[in-house]
Amino acid sequence: MLKESVVAELQKIVGKENVLTSPEALKAYSYDGTTSWVHEPDVVVFPTITQQVSDIMKLANAEKIPVTPRGGGTNVSGGSIPIMGGIVLCTTKMNKILKVDKENLTATVEPGVVLQDLTIRLMKEGLFFPPDPQSFLGATLGGIIAENAGGPACVKYGVTKQYILGVEVVLPNGDIIHLGGRTLKNVVGYDLLHIFISSEGTLGVITKAELKLNPIPPAKKTIMVVYDDVAKAGESVFRVLENGVIPGKIELMDNWVINRIEEMMPMGLPKDADALLLFETDGIPEAVEKETEKIVEIVKKYGAVDARVAKDQAEADKYWMGRKAGFAAVFGKAKTVFAEDVTVPRGQIPALINKCKELGKKYNIEVVVLGHAGDGNLHPAILTDINNKDHYDRAVKAMDEIIEGAVELGGVLSGEHGIGLEKQRFLKRQLEPVVIEMMKKVKALFDPNNIMNPGKIWE
Amino acid sequence: MKDLKELKKIEQYADQCMKCGFCSFFCPVYQEEKTETSVARGKNYLVKEILKGNQEFTKELGNIIGLCLLCKRCVAMCPAKTQIDRVVVGARAQMVNEKGLGAIKNFAFRKVMANRKAFGNYVKLAKSFQWLLPKTEGNIRHLPDFLKALGQGRNIPALADKFLREIVKPVYKPQNGEKPKMKVGYFMGCATDFMYPELGLKFIDFLTKRGIEVVVPESQSCCGAAMYFSGDFETGRLQAEKNIEAFKDVDYIVTACGTCSSTLKDYQKYLPETEDQKKRFEEFEKKVKDSMEFIVDIMKVKPEELTLKKEFEGKTATWHDPCHLVRYQNIKDQPRAILKGLKGLKYVEMPNADLCCGMGGSFSVYHYDITKKIAGKKMDGIKATGADIVVTACPGCMVNLTDNVLQNKMPQKVYHLLELVE
Ligand code: SF4
Ligand code: SF4
Repeated sequence: MLKESVVAELQKIVGKENVLTSPEALKAYSYDGTTSWVHEPDVVVFPTITQQVSDIMKLANAEKIPVTPRGGGTNVSGGSIPIMGGIVLCTTKMNKILKVDKENLTATVEPGVVLQDLTIRLMKEGLFFPPDPQSFLGATLGGIIAENAGGPACVKYGVTKQYILGVEVVLPNGDIIHLGGRTLKNVVGYDLLHIFISSEGTLGVITKAELKLNPIPPAKKTIMVVYDDVAKAGESVFRVLENGVIPGKIELMDNWVINRIEEMMPMGLPKDADALLLFETDGIPEAVEKETEKIVEIVKKYGAVDARVAKDQAEADKYWMGRKAGFAAVFGKAKTVFAEDVTVPRGQIPALINKCKELGKKYNIEVVVLGHAGDGNLHPAILTDINNKDHYDRAVKAMDEIIEGAVELGGVLSGEHGIGLEKQRFLKRQLEPVVIEMMKKVKALFDPNNIMNPGKIWE
Repeated sequence: MKDLKELKKIEQYADQCMKCGFCSFFCPVYQEEKTETSVARGKNYLVKEILKGNQEFTKELGNIIGLCLLCKRCVAMCPAKTQIDRVVVGARAQMVNEKGLGAIKNFAFRKVMANRKAFGNYVKLAKSFQWLLPKTEGNIRHLPDFLKALGQGRNIPALADKFLREIVKPVYKPQNGEKPKMKVGYFMGCATDFMYPELGLKFIDFLTKRGIEVVVPESQSCCGAAMYFSGDFETGRLQAEKNIEAFKDVDYIVTACGTCSSTLKDYQKYLPETEDQKKRFEEFEKKVKDSMEFIVDIMKVKPEELTLKKEFEGKTATWHDPCHLVRYQNIKDQPRAILKGLKGLKYVEMPNADLCCGMGGSFSVYHYDITKKIAGKKMDGIKATGADIVVTACPGCMVNLTDNVLQNKMPQKVYHLLELVE
C-alpha cells in the first residue's frame, strides 16, 4: 500500500482526475494481453506532459516506489503488469502526433499515440510507418519502441529499431534526456538510443519519439499458396528469397488455424490444406507484376499444390483479414494459450515446424503454427487450460522443448514480444552469464534504486 | 455463494474475451476517457471477477458498467466476437437483483413509464411548465430533472401540442378502398408519441397509400429499452408481455424508431424466464420490422418510384447509422438504397457514418459531458460532407443530433427518412 501523502502528491502533479485508486480501477490495470499473469498496482497515473512524468519519477525515486510504464496494454509478454505493485504510469493521455514532416519523411509523436491512429494520419500524406505489430488497433508507440515490435512487414522492411531516429526519455531519477536525433546517420558517441529500444520499460519512460517513415508503395498484390505439407511451406519461404524476390510479407497458417478461421468467417480457404502461405508483393506496378509471377513460379517448383493471385484488393483484404483473425481463432479455443514467439534463421523453418508437430504428438496436446514465416518468426501456440494440472504440465514441457529446439536451431526465444515475465525463465538458456551480468549493470546504471518496471526480463 | 443468476447467463460471453485490447480503438467512450475501465476489455474483466467471487457490486462497479453506450461497436470489431452488450446488460440486471434500482429509476421505470397513462400524464405536466424553463437555441428546451431521468436525454425538442396517442385512430384502412394486402400493427414509441407525432402519421399514411391496413392498438406500452438496458428485467418483461398481447392479430409489427424495433426484437435475448416465454418472444421477434427494412425488404418499394417532397428538391443528404439499426439489426443498405435512389436528392456518405451519436439512452443523462464529446466527432463527420440535411431513422438519434447541430451552430437540419418522401 502506498502512503496517502504519495497519492496526494501524485494528484498534485497530474490533477485529481488523472489518478485512479479505486479497487475496481486497479483490477483493470492488473493484466495485459497474456493469460497467465495478474498483479494489481497501488495507483494508476495518467501524465499529459513530459514534465509531469519527470515529477512522478522524482517522487517515486525518492520514495523507492516501483513504476511500471504502460500504454495500450496489448503486449503479450507480461511486460506491462505491475508485478511489484506501486505506480502504473499510463501514457494513453499523451497521445498527440506532434508533427509529420513530409520533406524529411519523419514524424514526431508522443508515446500514447495508437499505431492505427498514426497510420490513418500518415495515409493522408502518402506515408507509412513500416513496423506493423498485429496489435496495431491498441498498441501505442511508446510500447512499440520499448518492445522493439515487429510484424508481417518485417521481412522486407525490418523491425521498429530501424525506424526510430531519436527519443526523449525520462530517467528513473526524473532527468529528461534526448538520445539520437532527427537524421538518418548519427555516430556521435555510444548508441544509447538503441539501449532504450527493446528495454521493455526497465530503463526509463519514453516521452517523445522521432520516427522514420516510408512513402506508401503505389502497388501491391497478394498470393495465396496452398501446401499439403506444412514443412514444404516453410521451405518455400527461403526458396523465394534465395531466388532474389523479397516480398513485403510472408505469413503462414497451418491446417488447424485455417479451419478455425473458416469457422469464424467463411471465406473459402482450402480446409484440407496442411498449410497456407500468404505473400504480399509491393512496389512500383511493373515490379510487383514481375515479382508476383516469379513467386508463383518458384513456389510451384518447390512443391506448392496451388498458388492463387488475388484478383482484386477486396479478395486480398479478405485473406489478410483472415490472417489477422488467426490469433483470435487460437485464443478463442482454449482457456490458456502459450503464444510462442520463437524465431529461427529462415532456412530452419521446416525443421522448427516439424519439431512443433512432433512435440504436439509426444505430449498429446494441440500445438498450432501461424506467424511471420518470412522472417523466421513463427508463433507456435499451445492450447491448454491452467486449471487442468495434468494438461497444463504437459503444455509447459512442450513449450520448454520448443524454445530449446529453436535455440538449438540457431534461433532466439523471442522475436518480437519481448521477455517480460512470460519468458524470463528461459533467458539463461539463450544468454551467457556474463552477458546477463552486463545487462544488470546497465540497468543499475540507469536505475540504481531498481524502481523502473522491476521484476522483468531476468528472474 | 450468492445466486449470480443473471451473470451465469452471460458467463459464456464474458469468457470469450482474450484481452487483446483491440476494442479500445472502436469504443467511443474509451476514445474520450482513455482508461481501461471505460473499454469493453476492462468491463468484461471486472464482470469475470464478480463471477469468480473476487469483486462485489460496489458503487464504483455500478459506475463502470453504467459507462457503456451499448453501441456495440466493440462487438462488431472484436476478433473473438465477445458480446459485451450482453455482458454489460447482464451485469446491470444482476446488480438490480442485488441492490435494487435506485429511487429515481424505480419511480421512473416502474411507476411512470411502465404505465402508459401515467407516462403520458407526466410528460403533459412537464409540457405545461415548459415555458418556465430556460430557453436554449431553436426549439430545444431543458426539461425538469425527473423527466431527464426518464431516459430521454438532457435536451429534447419542444413537446408536441398534441401527442400522437391523442390524434391517432385505432384502425386505418388502405386509401384505395381495396382489400388490404396485409395488416400491420404500428408501434409508435415514446419519442414519436411525445415529440414527433407527425412522423407517426406520416408512416401510417405511407403504408395505407400502398394498400396496407394499419392498426394502432391502444394497449401498446413503452418498448422497454430504458428499463431492460438498465437491468430492470422485471419491468422489461412486463412491457414485453403487454406489447405481445397488444399486437396479437397482425401480420407484422412495424415502427419508425430504430431503438424500438431492436428492443422489441431482443425481448427473446434478454427477458424470457420460461421456455414458453422464450418461444413466444421468438415468435414475436419474427414479426417485428423496422420501417427501413419493412419498406425495402417486405413491401419491396422501389426507391426510384418514390417521390421526393418538393422542399428537398436539389438538396444534398447524408445518412447517420443509428447503433440500433446498423449493429443491432444489420440495417444499413436499405436506407442508403432509398436515399441514393430518390430522384432529385443528392447523397453523400459521411465519414464514420456508423459512429454512435453519443446518446445511448439514459447514458446521456448521466454522462452528458462524454455524450457531447462523442457527438462532437459525429458533427465533424457531418461537416465534412457539406450536406444540407442529415437523415436517420431513430427519433432518439434525432434528438441528440438536433441538439448538437444547434449547439455547434451548423446549418444542417435533421430528418427521419420518412419525412423526405410523399
Ligand atoms: S472484447 Fe474483444 S476486442 Fe476487446 S479485448 Fe476482449 S477479445 Fe479483444
Ligand atoms: S458497447 Fe460501445 S460504449 Fe460499450 S464498450 Fe462497446 S464500444 Fe464501448
